[in-house]
Amino acid sequence: MPGSRVSAVPAQRFAIGARIRSAWMARSRQERLVYQLLLPVFGSVFVVATIPFVLAVIQAVTSDSRGFVGFDNFARALGNPLLYESIKQTAIYAAIALPTEILGGLGIALLVHRTVRSSAIRAAIYIAAMIPIVIPQIAVGVIFRLVYAPDYGILNVLLGQTGPNQPLWLSSPPLAMIATASVDIWQWTPFVYLIMFAGFQTVPSESVEAAQVDGANAWTQFRHIELPYLRPLLLLVLFFRIADVIRVFDHVYVLTGGGPGTTTQFLSLYIYRIGFKFSDLGQASALAVVVMVAMTVFYTIVSRFLPADRG
Amino acid sequence: MTHRSRRLTRIATYALLAVIAFIFAFPLFYLIATSLKTKADLFAPVPSLFPPAPTIEPYISVLFTRGFDGLLVNSIIAGLSATVLAICIAFAICYPITRLPAPPRLRAFVLNWALSLRFLPPVAVVIPYFAIVRTIGLYNQLPALILVYTIFNLPLAIWMLRGFLDEIPIEIEEAALVDGASRWYAFRAILLPLSRTGILAVVIIVFAFDWAEFLFAFILTATPQAMTFPVGVQGLVTQFEIIWNDMAAGGVIAILIPLSLMILARRHVMTGLTFGVIREK
Repeated sequence: MPGSRVSAVPAQRFAIGARIRSAWMARSRQERLVYQLLLPVFGSVFVVATIPFVLAVIQAVTSDSRGFVGFDNFARALGNPLLYESIKQTAIYAAIALPTEILGGLGIALLVHRTVRSSAIRAAIYIAAMIPIVIPQIAVGVIFRLVYAPDYGILNVLLGQTGPNQPLWLSSPPLAMIATASVDIWQWTPFVYLIMFAGFQTVPSESVEAAQVDGANAWTQFRHIELPYLRPLLLLVLFFRIADVIRVFDHVYVLTGGGPGTTTQFLSLYIYRIGFKFSDLGQASALAVVVMVAMTVFYTIVSRFLPADRG
Repeated sequence: MTHRSRRLTRIATYALLAVIAFIFAFPLFYLIATSLKTKADLFAPVPSLFPPAPTIEPYISVLFTRGFDGLLVNSIIAGLSATVLAICIAFAICYPITRLPAPPRLRAFVLNWALSLRFLPPVAVVIPYFAIVRTIGLYNQLPALILVYTIFNLPLAIWMLRGFLDEIPIEIEEAALVDGASRWYAFRAILLPLSRTGILAVVIIVFAFDWAEFLFAFILTATPQAMTFPVGVQGLVTQFEIIWNDMAAGGVIAILIPLSLMILARRHVMTGLTFGVIREK
């Protein structure tokens, strides 16, 4: 471009362009290769994964018939008492399942770590503990339908309660909550066990031996030597499990369908119901946006505490 | 502690572990037992613990009479395609951030972004996806599932692959580059063969996740043309009258595939589930 004839503004633009270009050239060939390789792929993936967010927002503030509706859907979504009911039920579910899983998994890990010395048995427990985790949630629902269903469920048979007054594990309010939470406990306690057991292996044996020489008993050894090594892992487990409780859907859908009433209508089931049973996609999108924002905030806070090396 | 009391504690612990193992194993046992029962067994006044006359009839009934073999094929096609896509994309993203001098902040951004997707509940994402899929005419089509599965399991693939690539020393490739090899050659002839085990582990675990997925398939498909196996199994449960042995057989088949894959890749399962925080050596 002939420099003498361009006005001030393009000249400035040219200068910025040149500055960017020279900054670009100043990077090593390898650094430039990073961007050349990463940008097209990561950029498109990022866009494709972000479209749903944008679309959820658009769906939430518009309606097919009325066009732009502002915050109507948000007002309806947040004004619906059933939302708070589902949050409450989700919290109860979490309050039953998470402490049981974490304490149970930690306890079993401690037992195995202290008493089982044979590496063959340890390996066998490792494989066994992995089985519930890898079972698809739908199949977990099937398994526990066979346990809890009236008449054909094995639990009432074992309890000797087969008559007309048998406990209805899946269709009476407090029992349905216990039944669905117990399924979570069955599937995820082994997960906590595996993480905690791996955590115990990271405790340096010198510290444990030194404590034992100093006369520490089993509890002191756990409390002051081992627990500090496990703390970041406990946090990790808690965060992952909270994220999982928010998404609990499959096994509950198969076991109770969210019933009886709203007893097991947890957050994911509630949003599903609003969106696909009542076909109120506007309100469901508003809920989706709220949940996405809440989980992003949750993740932002949590990621500071995660023990993973952050890249 | 005396020798004797230590021995007693040991025995008590083993007994306790055995009880726990029994409680965990029992529901699984009953699933398998039910899947081997005949139709006639279902009408016994009290269901039996063991199948009186074991039969594979329920499996035949589920797979062929009910046509679940088609759903099985759908699940495998959707899972395999999405896995292959996710691995290729993950490789293209992980290569620059592990083998090249990527700025640490860029690297952290990519990894954090991927991990943050893990915290999104699928039900929130499925609502906009439902609209997208209907608009572009992919409703009740396998490509819709492939697309969604690829994106949803990409974070897992990225984190696992990045873990494996970080463990391969970069010096071998650098030596080849110094000797005048091209970057492409160093990638193809050195890095790719060295990361074969890692790639296989990621493939297995991502496929198992795709296989087990329910909600997306449930909402984005409607007929056996594109339905996946877990959606079919769900249909066996919530229908008016449950045929228990068929339902159990469906459950067993749904379990067998991820279970056998996970046993193959057992050393990497926990790495995958915790995004590389737990590493099994």
